[in-house]
Amino acid sequence: MSKQSIATRRMFLKCGALLAGPIAAASVPALALAKERSDDGLKARVMRLENEAAIRELHRSWLRRINAGGGMALSGASVRRVTADHADVADRIEIAEDGHSATGRFDCAVEVQSMLPDDFTLGQMAHAQGSGTLRTTERRVLTVEYLKVDGAWTVQSVTSEAR
Amino acid sequence: MAGTPYPKQQLHRFAYTKLTKEQIAAKLAPVVLKGPTSMSPLAADFAGQTLSIVTDDGPALKYKFTSNGRLSLSENGGKPVDAGFGALESDNFCLFTHLIPGTQRGYAVVIDRKSKQATVIELWFSGYEDNREVQRQIYFGYVDAGGEAPKGRHEFTNRLEGRGYHWRQDNGMETLEYYPSAGYSHFVELSRTGGELGFCAPSDYVKLDNDYILYTRTECEFSGTFTAYAIDMNRVQQLGVRLGFDEADNLNYSLFRGHGDVTGQIAHFEKFEDNTGDPIPGPKDKDGKPVKGGRRVYRPIHTMEKMTREEVAKVVKEHATAFPAHTTTGGAAGMSQNALPASDYLAGKTFTLRYDHGAVMEYRVEGSDQLNWRMNGGDWVKARYQAYEAAPGLVLFGHLLEGAPDHDGHIMAVDFHQGLVTCYNGYLNTPYFANEAGARTLFGVLEMEGLQPPQYRRHQRTTEMLGRCITYSYAPGLVSMHLYSTPNTVSWIIFTPDQHGGMEWSGPGDFVKIRDGIYFMYWLEEACNGTLGTVLLNLNIMHDAGIGYNCGTRGLNMSAIGAIVRHAGKFDVDRYFQIRT
Repeated sequence: MSKQSIATRRMFLKCGALLAGPIAAASVPALALAKERSDDGLKARVMRLENEAAIRELHRSWLRRINAGGGMALSGASVRRVTADHADVADRIEIAEDGHSATGRFDCAVEVQSMLPDDFTLGQMAHAQGSGTLRTTERRVLTVEYLKVDGAWTVQSVTSEAR
Repeated sequence: MAGTPYPKQQLHRFAYTKLTKEQIAAKLAPVVLKGPTSMSPLAADFAGQTLSIVTDDGPALKYKFTSNGRLSLSENGGKPVDAGFGALESDNFCLFTHLIPGTQRGYAVVIDRKSKQATVIELWFSGYEDNREVQRQIYFGYVDAGGEAPKGRHEFTNRLEGRGYHWRQDNGMETLEYYPSAGYSHFVELSRTGGELGFCAPSDYVKLDNDYILYTRTECEFSGTFTAYAIDMNRVQQLGVRLGFDEADNLNYSLFRGHGDVTGQIAHFEKFEDNTGDPIPGPKDKDGKPVKGGRRVYRPIHTMEKMTREEVAKVVKEHATAFPAHTTTGGAAGMSQNALPASDYLAGKTFTLRYDHGAVMEYRVEGSDQLNWRMNGGDWVKARYQAYEAAPGLVLFGHLLEGAPDHDGHIMAVDFHQGLVTCYNGYLNTPYFANEAGARTLFGVLEMEGLQPPQYRRHQRTTEMLGRCITYSYAPGLVSMHLYSTPNTVSWIIFTPDQHGGMEWSGPGDFVKIRDGIYFMYWLEEACNGTLGTVLLNLNIMHDAGIGYNCGTRGLNMSAIGAIVRHAGKFDVDRYFQIRT
């Protein structure tokens, strides 16, 4: 079983910042409702649901970004596509008690592209015929660490593990 | 006394003259008005005819045939020029060819008189850094007879992929030709060079109709000669054209007919609905348009590292590596992901490998990757090794021979149940490039306590693999297919992403039968990276164990290779390699 990190923090921070606006705006009616009822348990539940929704949207945005050619890397190979695997275990999002950090686990299929080495004959021939890249699809679980910065969720790190 | 057909130098060793444009022009000039030669009668129904050909994205050609050997041509409405030509016909197809005065160009044209479809092959010299290598551009089009243009076109196809033929031409040429790829082919010249080795060439395959396919090859890296022929697949006949310069720089511009035999049809691996051809995309210019005549050609002699004896000695001294320790299988070249696991079968054993008329190698094996060896009673030398148990009691193992003047490596298939050994002894300092491996095949016996080896019996060379095609899946996305085209040749074909047979190359090889269904083979990448690759192939479990031996600027390396294999089929070619007097 392998565990690998994906891409850079800067890219995910940028991705999170893009999402901060709309997620914050969408959360206003829910917050108002919670306040009106002044029920702490309900308020906490609403907050959790609100955070989960924001994180899911951030995750979808991250997937779109990668699949649009966002240039991610995984174990020396470039990630071409990440597809959510809804047929497997449901997404798991755990939010810390203080509500400032969270961990998401997402089952997915990751298509990676790597270059065949060119220091041996078959590799050279593959490059010569224009097919020196290798694409493989692996079933993996992505573990994403999130941090809330200025009210918006941002991605801190992504690791992936083979399933 | 009759001579042998064997050349002093095979195609990949011959130093072809770098002909200048002027030399080529001088050789073409006398032929332009004569047209091609032919041993068979030429078509005699062209005189007085006119022909207009329109091609897609190519030239418009207007012909007037003033006789059965002379034509005038206007290209794209230009001024007509006169040239000699020759034509051959079969059913509704005709193939004619001519050169163009004052140029180094010419055409070979195939017309289907029934469908009015045409394939035009433009040919020219001096279009590549090696002027003698014929360039080609294929255009599809139709005969413009004034009516509605046909909608269909001839098209590239994979319909010939996997086929093999034995051809006997009217000019005395006898060949075995294999088409295991949709973009390359493999040919064995039985008559001209004795059929010891086969060679590979980039090729085109064009479907003319369901009965006829047009094939081309250009002998890139060799003489540069271009050959094209239409195959009547029902009658197994061919009509074709050859243009190029031979080893003596004589121009060969000829038409030929031939008849043949189908030697077999192996599997090919595209999806069933995929009958497309031309699978290797050609180069494009900066505007994204295909380069005229552009094609991707494997040119290993250009790209291989070429080292002197001194350079080899230095790099071996500094960087000699056997089975890098960072992986269990030791593969450094990407061909070991599917290798058999390394075995500790030899650990703790003491034994002797006694080669017939050769060395006596004694071994004391310390563990699963360290052994001590000595040759002919000399000093003991410690070496790193790895072993693979390819079948019960049958072990492949290899190690470098530190201190050997030619930097030898021994790769051995040792049968502990039969007391037999075959060794492929790789070595460097070979005549053409010092880092190019050579190989000796050594037969012998295993001696160890409690084991009595045979006195007369030995592993034997075999032709049981001749004509077979085996796919080797080394790692995801890294598959090649071996074609054992002659008793001394291993050819290998790689695949495109959509599983068309793609590029192909070949080298000399050897084949030894170890047990029923188990063969020990090697290929030598002569004039192509210089690697000695060995394969202990077990067809009982459809897996091999292998060891590679290679020297380059990064050092001398021995490493594991291994693959899961499939049997793709067999060509029936044994009868062409019987020694007869």
